[in-house]
Amino acid sequence: MTVTSSRSRRAGWVGAAYAAPTALIVGVFFIVPLLLVGWMSLHDWPLLGLPEINAPENFTAMADNELIADAAWFTVKYTVIITVLLFAVAFGLALLVQHQRRGVGLLRTAFFLPVAVGFASASLLFLGLLSQEIGPFKTDEYISWTSGSPSLALGSAVVLVLWRFAGFNMLIMLTGLQAIPTELYEAARIDGATRFQIFRRITVPLMRPTIALVLTLMIAGSLLAFDQFWILTRGGPDNSTTSLVMVIYREAFIRLDLGAAAALSVVLLGVLVVFNVIQFGVLRSRRGA
Amino acid sequence: MMARAGYYTTGAALAILFLFPLLWSGYASVSTESGFGLENYGRLFTSDNGIRPYHVVNSVLVCLITVGGTLLISTLGGYAFGRFRFPGRDLLFLVTLAILMVPYATILIALYVLLGWMGLQDSLLGLGLVLIMFQLPFSIFMMRNSFEAVPKELEESALIDGCNSFGVLTRVMLHAVRPGLITVGLFAFLTSWNEFFAPLILLNSTDQFTLTLAVVNMRTATFGSIDYAALEAGVMFMAVPCVLLFLFLQRSYVRGFMSGALKG
Amino acid sequence: MRGTSPQRAMLAVLASAALVLGMAACSEGKTNTPAALAVDDGATLTLWTRAATEGVSKKFADAYNATHKNKVQVTAYPNEEYPAKLASAAGARALPDLFASDVVFAPQYASENLWLDITDRVNALPFKDKLAKAHLDNAVWKNKNYAVPHTIDMSVMLYSIDLYTKAGLDPSKPPKNLNEFADHARKIDALGGDVNGTYFGGNCGGCNVFTLWPSVWAAGGEVMDKEGTKSTVNSKEMADVFALYRKLYDEGVAAPAAKDEAGPTWLGALQGGNIGIAPGPSVWLGLIEEKGVKMGVAPITGISGGESTFIGGDSMGIGATSTKAAQAWDFLQWTMGDEAQVEVVAKNKGIPFRTDLAANKYSSADPRIVTINNLVAKGRTPYAKNFNATYNDPQSPWIATFRGAFFGPDAKKALDDGAAKLTASLQKS
Repeated sequence: MTVTSSRSRRAGWVGAAYAAPTALIVGVFFIVPLLLVGWMSLHDWPLLGLPEINAPENFTAMADNELIADAAWFTVKYTVIITVLLFAVAFGLALLVQHQRRGVGLLRTAFFLPVAVGFASASLLFLGLLSQEIGPFKTDEYISWTSGSPSLALGSAVVLVLWRFAGFNMLIMLTGLQAIPTELYEAARIDGATRFQIFRRITVPLMRPTIALVLTLMIAGSLLAFDQFWILTRGGPDNSTTSLVMVIYREAFIRLDLGAAAALSVVLLGVLVVFNVIQFGVLRSRRGA
Repeated sequence: MMARAGYYTTGAALAILFLFPLLWSGYASVSTESGFGLENYGRLFTSDNGIRPYHVVNSVLVCLITVGGTLLISTLGGYAFGRFRFPGRDLLFLVTLAILMVPYATILIALYVLLGWMGLQDSLLGLGLVLIMFQLPFSIFMMRNSFEAVPKELEESALIDGCNSFGVLTRVMLHAVRPGLITVGLFAFLTSWNEFFAPLILLNSTDQFTLTLAVVNMRTATFGSIDYAALEAGVMFMAVPCVLLFLFLQRSYVRGFMSGALKG
Repeated sequence: MRGTSPQRAMLAVLASAALVLGMAACSEGKTNTPAALAVDDGATLTLWTRAATEGVSKKFADAYNATHKNKVQVTAYPNEEYPAKLASAAGARALPDLFASDVVFAPQYASENLWLDITDRVNALPFKDKLAKAHLDNAVWKNKNYAVPHTIDMSVMLYSIDLYTKAGLDPSKPPKNLNEFADHARKIDALGGDVNGTYFGGNCGGCNVFTLWPSVWAAGGEVMDKEGTKSTVNSKEMADVFALYRKLYDEGVAAPAAKDEAGPTWLGALQGGNIGIAPGPSVWLGLIEEKGVKMGVAPITGISGGESTFIGGDSMGIGATSTKAAQAWDFLQWTMGDEAQVEVVAKNKGIPFRTDLAANKYSSADPRIVTINNLVAKGRTPYAKNFNATYNDPQSPWIATFRGAFFGPDAKKALDDGAAKLTASLQKS
């Protein structure tokens, strides 16, 4: 054995020791509950009393649940809308504030400030803001902004999410933008490239890792959307804004069917993991190319 | 000249749009039937379900536990992921990130069961530990990249001076990753201060309740009517400390992000 | 016992394997001892309730604590999230000593054994036959009692005295049937301005259960079978009621906001003083008059007469995992006694759930309260194990059904489809 390998092995144990607290917290508070959820999904799991194995009934029963199909469709639709809009707005804001100039600090602060408001607080804030009682958008003809029609309800939730999360994503993209060496831009400009060409040939390719991170966060967040609908629209009107996590909530806490709720969670987790593996693979192959 | 005017007009318009909801909430919280005043805040603190001093104390305690724990664990963990190779490293990292992908609603039941076994149910410590777990994906990611961004030479010079890895961490690295630490701490604070669902499920007795629970409880105190003005006062009461801290630490967290901390 | 050492954490990990066995191993409490049914020995009892009921629970607790060695501690949770709180506590076997639930959810909690079986204790009550029967019977599962009434709330017609007078109607002659109700609403609506004839929760499951079903019962109809397993929402009696409200909405007699009302601002609408007459909870009488709107109270009627009411409110039982059943029963028994019913409930303008105390020294001061109290005997509480998922929850098939009947293109089809979906939901195990 060489000297280096024994040293690196020792360094390995030191590293593992530093990672131990992380492993402990993740193991106890994430892996164990996760295994429990997986275990529950195979059972008819009463609140009290003896669970009975009924696999795969909790999974097959999903097919008969109309609410799940509607919620899955809505959740996908919502995820597409939010990802496209939030990405466009956040990227736009990042481009707007990427260069140092007078007043740009104020703009960054203004866009980022909503992040300081918790999501539950933000939802409560919008509940008042969009109400006909005290909100500034009071109309002569009565309109409920949060449940008047499916598109109004969805629109309200989208505006809330854009407001609350655009700044955070803007900052991440700003990080990516500023990591691009200025020499590259200058060289391109000397070569006579137009603004659009620079954006397409330099900014976007070099931003790819950041874009991937932002998209992952947005997609995972949207597929797991709950608070904004729970507080603002209650999933209505006519179940038009019922997300998958709301169905999980309903199975667990309204129908008291923990097995069904766990099964649905397992499926949703599976979809997210598969999705991320694919995205990871695509990115890696592009990087390699 | 035109381009510049256009830039500032667009910028200002967007800034106003983003500030508007908070400004409106502040305005709504102080406007009363007879003009302006603090009556809405009065109701917030004096009504049966209102905010009491112990709510603030509990929230502060949960924040201290969460921020302290998150900083400690993510510093050690970030150091490990950013500077060492060890068995299971990539797996642990991916599993930590996977926390972002689990629906909150179901895992909380399992967590409740788990805290019961550990004798930590209905305790702020148990709540804090759960919140630390939910903070880890962001914090570990941030700290790993912060440590990776520190130039190797810094570390080597300390090693030559005879420091072991822990000495390197405390004497050299901590200072270098300070912006990252502040960012992680700030977000841990924001989450723990504002979190609603975890305390609702994990806390059982009134004297352990946090601020968010009190504010949301006000929303539904009487079925059939919402005291919107007091609600907005509650939102402001929750938001103002966060906003102030935010502005105060702005330089640091922007640098925290900028130090390459969130590259993919 | 408290600590977070790694050893303890590891123990917890190991314990996860034993979870299933653990849940099975300790499902029976210490309730089989033939000792006294009720004990007052200085125990501390935890009591959970939802924010809407908190006021009543606290008044009970304060009065009880002042005169007993046991001490009751009340914790209230937000209304919407309360069922989630109960379910997760039950899952962790950490239910409080006492907890309340909406009376319509009681069959579900009883069937899941979240409360202790208190059949013997209920049977030993000297005033068992005087308890509001519909309410008490809702907390029965397979012939066993699991909970007793804690609060009562009934649906009644609430009407504005001022608007009645302005519209030339006689406030001392409230509508005697639903058609008359519609006429009165139209006359008041004709006053114009901000005034609307009536109001209802057009996007609120619990509201419409509470306010529409009595009209069906008053007409001799049914909305479900007795076991709560088959819906008859497409019966003629129910369809007539929907058609009447639908017409009022189409004509603009009902406030436009009624269509989107999901419950949270229902009371606020009535407190505004611009609604002529609307069905609503009896306990709102005081809350509306607080805002300076003088209200009259009348029973809810059928299309061509008859009267009925929905007896709502909360049930309370002993948490299945409690080790202080006798002490908890001491409190429950006391809340149903003469003193608590009169000096706590009636004194605070509540409805006593003892029918023999409907007339008491406080109620006689207000004839409207006597009207309300006397309705207890005529009222019903519908029984269904899956009540919450079928009717109350925002994603329930009931909401889809009545929104189709109120606002959809084809009311009859909405009701026929709805009956099938409601039945399926009721029968889901």
